Amino acid sequence: MEAILKRTAQRVHDSEDEKLLIEQAQSGDREAFEQLVRRHDRDILRLAFHMLGNREEAREVFQETFLKAYRSLNRFRFESSFYTWIYRIATNVSLDHLRKRQTLKEEISYESYTESHPDRPALKDTLAATTYYSNPERRLYGKEVGEKIQDALKTLSEKERLVFELRHYQGLRLKMIGEIMGSTEETAKNYLFRATQKLRSYLTNV
Amino acid sequence: MNLNCRDYQHQITLFFYEELPEGIRPELEVHIRECSECKEAFDSERALHSVFAEDTTGWDVPSDLLVESRKALADELDRIEKKRSWWRMPAFSVVFTPMRLLESAALVAMGLALGVYVSNQQVVRLNSAVAANPASVESQSSTIPGNSTVSNLQIISADPATGQVELAGEVSQPLRFHGKMEDDLTRQLLFSALRDASNPGSRLKAVDLLSQKPTDESVEEALINALVFDDDAGVRMRALEGLRKFADEQHVQAAFVHALQNDNIAGIRIQAINALLDRNAKDPDLAQKLTEATKSDDNPYIRTKVLQFVGTSR
Repeated sequence: MEAILKRTAQRVHDSEDEKLLIEQAQSGDREAFEQLVRRHDRDILRLAFHMLGNREEAREVFQETFLKAYRSLNRFRFESSFYTWIYRIATNVSLDHLRKRQTLKEEISYESYTESHPDRPALKDTLAATTYYSNPERRLYGKEVGEKIQDALKTLSEKERLVFELRHYQGLRLKMIGEIMGSTEETAKNYLFRATQKLRSYLTNV
Repeated sequence: MNLNCRDYQHQITLFFYEELPEGIRPELEVHIRECSECKEAFDSERALHSVFAEDTTGWDVPSDLLVESRKALADELDRIEKKRSWWRMPAFSVVFTPMRLLESAALVAMGLALGVYVSNQQVVRLNSAVAANPASVESQSSTIPGNSTVSNLQIISADPATGQVELAGEVSQPLRFHGKMEDDLTRQLLFSALRDASNPGSRLKAVDLLSQKPTDESVEEALINALVFDDDAGVRMRALEGLRKFADEQHVQAAFVHALQNDNIAGIRIQAINALLDRNAKDPDLAQKLTEATKSDDNPYIRTKVLQFVGTSR
């Protein structure tokens, strides 16, 4: 009970602290804005990295997201949490990048990215965890699984991919995902259901 | 409420993400026991999660990407702010050249006794009791202590007819601070010293002090930033030494590999390789990263150390 009270008190303190930071940033305090960025930038970069699948675009999405936040922070009216707001920007920017990619027919697969950047290690190698993959057989298996999952994820629509990413990899609750998408929890549930159906179907057939 | 199999299959998905509404689970369990189609869906969903579990360990963002992204964002914000401050200035007083300074001085002589010295960095040290308050349109000389420094001074407006001028800038005062290393404020000041591009001596001392007790993530991050981005080789070297005991942590390891691949000072690269090898024995993945990072290194010591490490990691 004490722990719960402590956590609740901490959350209240954090949210008050964040409100103060936002207000300071809105009045032009760059340091306050940077502190806000630091609170969320790891999550935003992870989202971008997963959604786009390569470093360059992930960095672009990261930059675009926080610059948009910087420019429109004065319009933030505390109607949602800052976390939801910044995620909403990040997801929109990520989707824009995915759409641009489709329009330009530049399907950047992990393989082609590696081919065009021979000086960089392949993403899947960068992602390989040192502990789990130290066993060569497991490493090979994990690599195959990773590649199949990447292929399976490509079968999802943008929204399905986004909801799956936010729920499965980022661990956000469906209610918040609905808010981020400017929609409802029910809609997020439906996208998640469709995504897992497609993934099951794809991964069963390969 | 009568649910069909599709509804139950929705619930199966929610069950695996721990989003099933309270009280639904017993009914779902009963249905799965009785319905072969939903039992199959349940098993299939469980298999899907098992497959994903095989791939979860390696999904962290590389630390060097986070550092690079933060740096790029900070640079862009600097650029925007710089542009914005120029944009706000009236066209007739935009450039703070010595000639402009003379013009300004002439105006000041008309109405105000303002003694200024402008350095190359556009820093003005007040040597007079009378000064214009940079933050205000009105002259409020008494509010600025004599030992203050005014920087980034800009002339917002000047009216030769009335002798009125409007200036804007930043006032800073000398600071003397006593505090413990454990205190947040002390560390924040040291972080500021570390970011002070104009003073490598202070940055070096700040790194030294922070290195003594890198007790939390923010200190580690500050040291990683110094190692990766500081222009001064001495600061980078001290930051590396401070991080040395954490060379087995993934983000510190990434920073060391980055230094090994990019630092143009051989001494720093040598310290980076030594730190990495001291703390990481027999690691095939690290061996691969080091091979990649040092493939074009012209230092024979570094290449030999990597070859030895690759040999023992096989």
